[in-house]
Amino acid sequence: MLQQHHQQQQHHHLQSAITAAPPPSATTSTPPSSTTGEAPPKQVALAMDRLGQAARLIADIRLGADRLLEALFVASQPHQSSKPLHLFRQEDESMRQHLQDLRTVGKQLEESGVLNESLRSRSNSWGLHMPLVCPDGAVVAYAWKRQLAGQAGASAVDRTRLALKAFTDQKRRFFPHLDDEEDGEGTDTVSKKHRNLPALAEDNQDNLSDCKTLSDVLTNLEKEIPNLKVSTYERLDWLKRASSLPASANDNTMEAPKHNFHSTSILRPAPQNVASMDKVAVIELFFPSIFRAVVSLHPAGSTDPDSVAFFSPDEGGSYMHSRGSSVYHVFRQITEHATVALQYFLGIRSKTALYSLLHWICSYQTLFTKVCNKCGRLLAMDRQSALILPPVHRPYRTLSVSKQSSSQSISSTLDQGSNAPEAYHIGCFSDNM
Amino acid sequence: MSVVYCHIFRRLISYNPYRKKSTTMPLKRVFFWQPNAGSTVNSQILNEVSQCVESINGVKEGRWKATLTFYKPMLRDQALSAEFPREFIGISLPEQPNKYYFVLRFNKIVLESDSSIQLIMEKLQSYKSRVALNFEGFQYQLGDFQLRVGKVVPSHSENLRGIVMEVEYLPISSLEKSKQIMEEFFDIWQDAISKRSLPGRFIHIEPDFSDYGLADHYTSQHTAVQYTHVTSQLIASVQAVQTGRN
Repeated sequence: MLQQHHQQQQHHHLQSAITAAPPPSATTSTPPSSTTGEAPPKQVALAMDRLGQAARLIADIRLGADRLLEALFVASQPHQSSKPLHLFRQEDESMRQHLQDLRTVGKQLEESGVLNESLRSRSNSWGLHMPLVCPDGAVVAYAWKRQLAGQAGASAVDRTRLALKAFTDQKRRFFPHLDDEEDGEGTDTVSKKHRNLPALAEDNQDNLSDCKTLSDVLTNLEKEIPNLKVSTYERLDWLKRASSLPASANDNTMEAPKHNFHSTSILRPAPQNVASMDKVAVIELFFPSIFRAVVSLHPAGSTDPDSVAFFSPDEGGSYMHSRGSSVYHVFRQITEHATVALQYFLGIRSKTALYSLLHWICSYQTLFTKVCNKCGRLLAMDRQSALILPPVHRPYRTLSVSKQSSSQSISSTLDQGSNAPEAYHIGCFSDNM
Repeated sequence: MSVVYCHIFRRLISYNPYRKKSTTMPLKRVFFWQPNAGSTVNSQILNEVSQCVESINGVKEGRWKATLTFYKPMLRDQALSAEFPREFIGISLPEQPNKYYFVLRFNKIVLESDSSIQLIMEKLQSYKSRVALNFEGFQYQLGDFQLRVGKVVPSHSENLRGIVMEVEYLPISSLEKSKQIMEEFFDIWQDAISKRSLPGRFIHIEPDFSDYGLADHYTSQHTAVQYTHVTSQLIASVQAVQTGRN
């Protein structure tokens, strides 16, 4: 026990030696004597070497600490021989040696100015800079790089976490009403609270209480909407698939019946099994020859969508993800509209957000055939963007997601039915729809 | 004999292991200018058409050129010529610089091959070019649509024989799904061009692609077939004008 304590102390001492060490001598402007004899490239090389050594020693020390703890654990078991004591002594010796070596290396690094920024102001004609060990442990080959990179010391994961935190804070600050709704929801109060909002849609939320899990939502969707191909992916798997598109679309085309040639799609991945549903982070909705929509879930396996994007069925590439943007104007416009719709679903109907979103996305299967409900035409020149576009807006506020009516409206699709979801051009769409 | 030649070409073409996979392209309709009875096509009309494209916010992008060649077999015995396909056409398209397309209109065959086939044909001295036409002009971008307006001139001549227009809708490649879009676009186009009171109009006659064994997914082979048909229609209308004159 005493030895362990001692070792911990040494560890702390070591930490402080590595982090923010004070300048080696009072006079910081003159370089330490041990390095004057060598040319800058050799100094840099030596410093990098020593840093490597230090890292190895630290790793050894960590391992040693593990072994010590293990020996302690074994010793605490009954009926042990003198073996643990022997191990202990062994480890103790090697640990002391490592720590001693580390102290030596640390001193050398201090002297050569690696642990502080004393050499930054010194310019040498070689244009080389000594490596710098920053307080958080990151090793930077060039001291000025640290400045330029700013937050680059933090890993990408940290940055993402920070960004998410910042965003959540902002959301709480600017959209307090959304938080209120989330907090105030209980299963009993749902129907009472939402009575004043578009009633039809809200009452149906209760009907969908059995669509709570992701696989429920997806199976339901597949049943209700023919023509649709739903696939799910883990996040990295989606990236691989996106890069391999649109090859699978081509593989599916049948060439002349004369030549009697059938091709099989070799790049379509095997369907996901239900067991990995908790890792699903990306849902792909594919209407062959019409569009492909990508929805991202956060966290993985949940029913909380966080972004959506639309793409051409023939598009492919690593830019195809739920925050990406299509190269075609029509799909870019739909993606913009979809992002607003998603916010609406998350805010007003957060319990069935995914279900509503997916159904709403499916209403776009009539993108190239359904005429605008306002002007009666399929194509119209949008004044603002000077583009000729089909009706890219589908209303989401009045979307009815009850099981019966949606199966009627969408399965009787081929859009000329009066139950078909409405569609509007950008210019024909007004916000209260 | 024609069967033998078809066979030889198929074998030459089949050295490309990927020939069966034709890359899906955005779909396209090819229109040709039909002058009114008693009028002819001229470069003034071409200018008006180009201006009209720009008036619906078309952005000029660059030039394009396609070629179409009528081949006739090189035979020692001319009497055998009846056994050869009546119209054997070779087409090069700007969007496929490495490919060359063959269409046998009366046999309803379309083939895609490597562009080196032209060199092979020359070396074999099997077929000779009888008539060659160039389709060339400017390309315009209108959002998700791409328009090409071009004049039809025989190669080695500046004589304007016709005007063609290609309308391409980039986001999708299914002929069936895009039908309405293409028709409505043409309506928008008609609205714009009719204001200029030109003596004629653009016509599109959709060939029966399934006759050629082509599927719903649009490919450059579809384009080759369209050009073949457009050319024969152009020739027919030119001949009609000539007989009209006579």
